[in-house]
Amino acid sequence: RDRRLRVPVRAALLLTSSAVQRIKNLLEHRPECVGLKVGVRTRGCSGLSYVIEYATEKGKFDEEVNQDGVRVFIDQKAQLTLLGTEMDFIETKLSSEFVFNNPNIKGTCGCGESFTL
Amino acid sequence: LLADKIRILAPRELLTLRATGGRCFTAGQETESKNGAPQDVVFISESCVKRLQQILEKDEFLRVQVEGGGCSGFQYKFTLDKTIEADDSVFEQDGVCLVVDSDSLEYLKGGTVDYSEELIRSSFQVIHNPRAEHGCSCGSSFSIKL
Repeated sequence: RDRRLRVPVRAALLLTSSAVQRIKNLLEHRPECVGLKVGVRTRGCSGLSYVIEYATEKGKFDEEVNQDGVRVFIDQKAQLTLLGTEMDFIETKLSSEFVFNNPNIKGTCGCGESFTL
Repeated sequence: LLADKIRILAPRELLTLRATGGRCFTAGQETESKNGAPQDVVFISESCVKRLQQILEKDEFLRVQVEGGGCSGFQYKFTLDKTIEADDSVFEQDGVCLVVDSDSLEYLKGGTVDYSEELIRSSFQVIHNPRAEHGCSCGSSFSIKL
């Protein structure tokens, strides 16, 4: 009966199917981990860069994104930065990496690793 | 000492090898001694060899170039190539070949090409480059020691 429950909530982070697959593969080798944690650090020539680490539990202030059976936690400090971002995994012969398509950023470094808001 | 272990094949020599259907020479393992490292040599790390063995097709090799660009002035560029040019130096280890043109070699010599595997990204990188002053955090861009 509560109408508020029906309000659709957009996920803070959208995972592409390749990202989901990659995270599943990663977590298979780490049974003690429940998901990945995404954060940002002040680093790099454009100011900020993304950080990914294994998470053994959901942090108190973490935002949880649960998509296709994969759990990704967003660090509290990164939640505003990452809002509406698409997390993709791109694999080529020369490199394989998680790529963040972030609509909030104004500019990136030449290598694409660091960015400004 | 290192020069003996890692053979620099002249382009022509390598082409002859291919023509006769022979494989490249097998060089010794990379030695980590940094003092007295010979000039004009680019080292290949174990992880790089392993990755190249997985991805290289027949007659293919990894080409490393140094280009102007990036936030620190220069940046590394990695491509897979099949043609060897006249000014190329070929470095071979455990059956995989790394090719550097003479201009890029000036900025690369003494460095090590590595395949770094991290959670967020796995990619080829140049590490321990004695010619590079300091780089961008991503490791793809650097400035030259004058």
